Amino acid sequence: MTSNALVAFEAISKAYGNGTRALTEVSFSVARGVIHAISGENGAGKSTLMKILFGLEQPSSGRLLLDGGVAEIRSPAAAVEQGIGMVHQHFTLVPSLTVAENIFLGQEQRSGIFVDREKTSRRVAALSKRFNLAVDPDARVSTLSVAAQQKVEILKALSRDIRLLILDEPTAVLSPPETEELFTRLRHLRDAGLTILFISHKLREVRALASHVTVLRAGRVVGDAQLADLDNDALSRLVMGGATSVARPVRASRSVGAPLVALKNVSQSRGRPGERVSNLDLTIYAGEVVGVAGVDGGGQQGLVALLSGRKAAESGTIVFGGRDMKSGSTRDWRSAGLAHLPADRHKDGSAMSMSLVDNAVAGAHRKPAYRMGALLDRRKMVEATRDMISEYGVRSPGPEAPLSALSGGNAQKLIAAREFASAPSFLIADEPTRGIDIAAAAFLHERMRNMAGTGVGILLVTSDLDELLTLSDRIVVMFGGRIVARFDTIDGLTPDRLGPFMLGLEETA
Amino acid sequence: MSRKALAPAIVTIVILAIVVITVMLPLALTTQDPVGVLETFLFGPFRNLRYLGNIVEMATPTMLCGLAVALMFRSGMFNLGVEGAFYLGGLGTVAAALLLPMPWWAAAPVALAAGAVIGSTVCVLPGVMRAHFDTSELVTSLMLNFVALFVGLFVLNYFLRDPAAGAMASYKIPLEAQLPRIVPGTRIHLGTVLALLACIGGAIYLFRTAGGFEARLVGSNPSFAAHLGLPLRRVMVRSAALGGLIAAFAGGIEMLGLYTRFSWQALPGTGWVGVTVAILARDNPLLLIPSALFLAYLQVGGDLVGRNFDVPIEGVGLINALVLLIATAAAIIRNPMLLRLVSGERSAGLTKSLPKAEAH
Amino acid sequence: MDASSVAEFVAVALRVSTPLTLAALGVLISTRAGVLNIGIEGMMLAGAFAGVVVSAFTGSALLGLAAAILIGAALGALLATAVHVAKADLILSGIAINIAAAAGTTLLLFLITGSKGVSSSLPSKTLPTIDIPLLGDLPLVGMAVSGHHILTYTAFLAAPLVALFLTRTPVGIRLRAVGEKPEAAAAAGVNVRRYQFWALAASGAFGGVAGAFLSMGYVSWFGQNMTAGRGFIALAAEVMGGGSALGTMLSAVVLGTAETISITMQGGGLPSELVQTVPYIVPILALLVHAMRRRRIARKSAA
Repeated sequence: MTSNALVAFEAISKAYGNGTRALTEVSFSVARGVIHAISGENGAGKSTLMKILFGLEQPSSGRLLLDGGVAEIRSPAAAVEQGIGMVHQHFTLVPSLTVAENIFLGQEQRSGIFVDREKTSRRVAALSKRFNLAVDPDARVSTLSVAAQQKVEILKALSRDIRLLILDEPTAVLSPPETEELFTRLRHLRDAGLTILFISHKLREVRALASHVTVLRAGRVVGDAQLADLDNDALSRLVMGGATSVARPVRASRSVGAPLVALKNVSQSRGRPGERVSNLDLTIYAGEVVGVAGVDGGGQQGLVALLSGRKAAESGTIVFGGRDMKSGSTRDWRSAGLAHLPADRHKDGSAMSMSLVDNAVAGAHRKPAYRMGALLDRRKMVEATRDMISEYGVRSPGPEAPLSALSGGNAQKLIAAREFASAPSFLIADEPTRGIDIAAAAFLHERMRNMAGTGVGILLVTSDLDELLTLSDRIVVMFGGRIVARFDTIDGLTPDRLGPFMLGLEETA
Repeated sequence: MSRKALAPAIVTIVILAIVVITVMLPLALTTQDPVGVLETFLFGPFRNLRYLGNIVEMATPTMLCGLAVALMFRSGMFNLGVEGAFYLGGLGTVAAALLLPMPWWAAAPVALAAGAVIGSTVCVLPGVMRAHFDTSELVTSLMLNFVALFVGLFVLNYFLRDPAAGAMASYKIPLEAQLPRIVPGTRIHLGTVLALLACIGGAIYLFRTAGGFEARLVGSNPSFAAHLGLPLRRVMVRSAALGGLIAAFAGGIEMLGLYTRFSWQALPGTGWVGVTVAILARDNPLLLIPSALFLAYLQVGGDLVGRNFDVPIEGVGLINALVLLIATAAAIIRNPMLLRLVSGERSAGLTKSLPKAEAH
Repeated sequence: MDASSVAEFVAVALRVSTPLTLAALGVLISTRAGVLNIGIEGMMLAGAFAGVVVSAFTGSALLGLAAAILIGAALGALLATAVHVAKADLILSGIAINIAAAAGTTLLLFLITGSKGVSSSLPSKTLPTIDIPLLGDLPLVGMAVSGHHILTYTAFLAAPLVALFLTRTPVGIRLRAVGEKPEAAAAAGVNVRRYQFWALAASGAFGGVAGAFLSMGYVSWFGQNMTAGRGFIALAAEVMGGGSALGTMLSAVVLGTAETISITMQGGGLPSELVQTVPYIVPILALLVHAMRRRRIARKSAA
């Protein structure tokens, strides 16, 4: 270790009780007084590593050095004591309190039994002057823009006399000019002697801000270098990994049918950043798989919300199966032939406390097949569930068990079985295999391919580039709520080629 | 059924027994004859047919109120308008029986139907407001209970009051509207049969019809229900309407089954007992029957003690409150260690076997 | 209406608003800590009862008041324990406390006095009234605002004090953080459960005082279920108050005035029963207006 290192990770590993390995033998060091970026895809282990550094989790093995001495950080409070501050991706601010109250929550400036507002304001003013972060100490946090709230978060961390500041994806919630401003401030802080750990998967920003980058993939360090020594291609190759060699199944040349879903110049400026989209033009034909690539917050969620009736378009036209669906409800989309595998299967895809049967027939329960006069034919429902269980190879204690008794992969298979059973003409598969085992994933891939073969149009949204390149007939890349690239064939396409578009470094469309 | 499946029930029963003893023992000790008090409380209700009948009579309205609560809680609504709906349902039924000219055979059914519709408003309004304006159905239903009470007193005083009755009471309910007694030697009336049928019907509705299925989906995960394209608002309003109709119907059969005049000057508290019944039954319509019978048994035991020993029956109210408290206490009733102990099993993984009382 | 009946009306309105204000402030404290105290009704009832019994046996009105505060706080602490330790549902446990208080007070009343209805056989004390010097000598104004019960002045002084507590003291600010964003409070080293426990205890204490006013201020006896839903009206007042102590007090006064109108209008031609619905209908309408406005704002800010 160089004597200049503020933090050093030495062979840090983290395995969870259920056998998941989040980090394997991670070693690198962070020099004093620099902006050090940590980059990698979702699930690469960045946040686990930061949680360990901030005392939210403990490593399974390996050790952490601060100033060359072994440090055990058992809690966030201990981290603060060691001079480490963190700005989380989701802010921990109380909206109805003022900026000053938030910054000094838990360490209030008192005079008698009261909070000394003047002293607090003065200290905030001093802090914000010292670090060149202008905020109004008396403004309520709820009235502030996201960028201003972030400043408050940073000040809150700085008010605790820290020397290392961790920023977890700080630009995810910011517009480009706000990002620029943040970077200027961060450079100031660095010049004032603070060490900054900048977590980001946006390579352009890493390049703009940091001097050093550590790249994680699948819980391991795959790159650790000065940015000056890396060009864009090398950097995105490090992040995306070598997915190029995946053997792709030979597919029968597929006859693509008529246009199924057509978006023309569709925009929606409301909602959370990742849900906003602008000027989308996209047509999905019957019998093809259209893959959507992009990093988190690229606008894929907005596209899915529009195509599943969860949100109406603000402008433009959406047509599905010949019907105007610009402001169609979920019910309209479903009755017109939509099936939808949602990204969050716990929140949107199922009722975990209800039985397999209930989950398997939900949505189809008004179909004549399940009716017996005015009643539901429970026997037929159980039968249908048993069929799904055996057809999809769902391992379960039985159809009456609660869905929560199933493993992730098996639950997802049952959810897929339900959605696919509705004989859809259009399928949205949103992260269809995230967090499930390889066998289950392969099975679902096979199913989706077969569905496309029978003329179903599929929109595949996934952050797994192997999956994307395996299943898609063509690919669009989204960034900042827009489609920034289109690949009408996937022949010869590699993650390397997609990377720069996904990361906002390039644009063709 | 296996021992494992029965474990939650056994834990519940043991805890109920402890609750009863905890309240009744000190109360008994304040009297001259503690053994006699306990004996009367525990075994008195079984001593003769009339007392057994009392249990059934008392369980009838609370069973129905429990059903109303269960249907609304299952769909994720914390609507406490059952109390007011019960009261207004009773009043509306009597009003209809007194004021509407009807052939004799239609008297009871028409009066009950009219009462049910009138009383249901106490649950429906909070439900509609929740579905469309997202106001807290909890607060609005608590307020509406009192509105129902005073509107009821107004109607009683100005339209139904029999000046010859002495106290504030309505004219006599016409004989042809009264529900027939069905078990000689008791006051058990046709309403009991209707209540049992309603519980069975409630179970069929929840577990065997599309509407009930949708209500359960909305109650257990509204986000999932929205993903499926279910009409959330309509499902909420439907559940509130059903709950209101059933609670008000309970008030109606109580009146036509046991009373000759309407004379309730205050909210009778039956709806609140219904909440306890429903929670004890884990919002399962079929379990409402034993649950209501159990609480009614305690009530009859308390009445007997009150009559014979100069011990107030309010001890039963304390038991009700403790039962309600403990029946929702996950750490006690769903304690994995207790359950394992009872089922004689060493492995974990039993904690999720009970449907959670769907709150909020 | 002549001037003196206006003064009389104001005096009655202040009196009627007193228990509502106290209880609503109690609800406010717990709600701001993120725990809705639906058991406030039962805590009031228990406070009313304890005040009468203890003052009767000790001969001291002050000890009666202290007992009312203690029993309210104890029930609040019990509710917190049920929720945090026994993992019971907050709302249902609150309802259970209401049922238990109704049954328990009647039971004890009978055991102590042999009557289930009222405690009139007990020689219970009342808390004093206060004449405000100078102001009390003014005609009309003195009649309206002077000579009130000590707890009436306490209630209206408590509102600004609670406001100061919530907005100006470290503990109050942390309490609001606990209720609004527990993870933020925890991240700042605040013990969320401990704050909620004390908030419910304080809420119960306010309920106890409100109850003491009913049995030791309004009148000098305890009657079965004498709170008559005032705790629930206090819940509504808190919601109408929009989370501030002064707003809560104002809402309580509005609802108290509605009740006063219903009292004074009885015998004024309108059926008294219908007039009595006013204090319960006003909060429903207020909540509706509140919800519609919130919705409009949400729609605007989304655009």
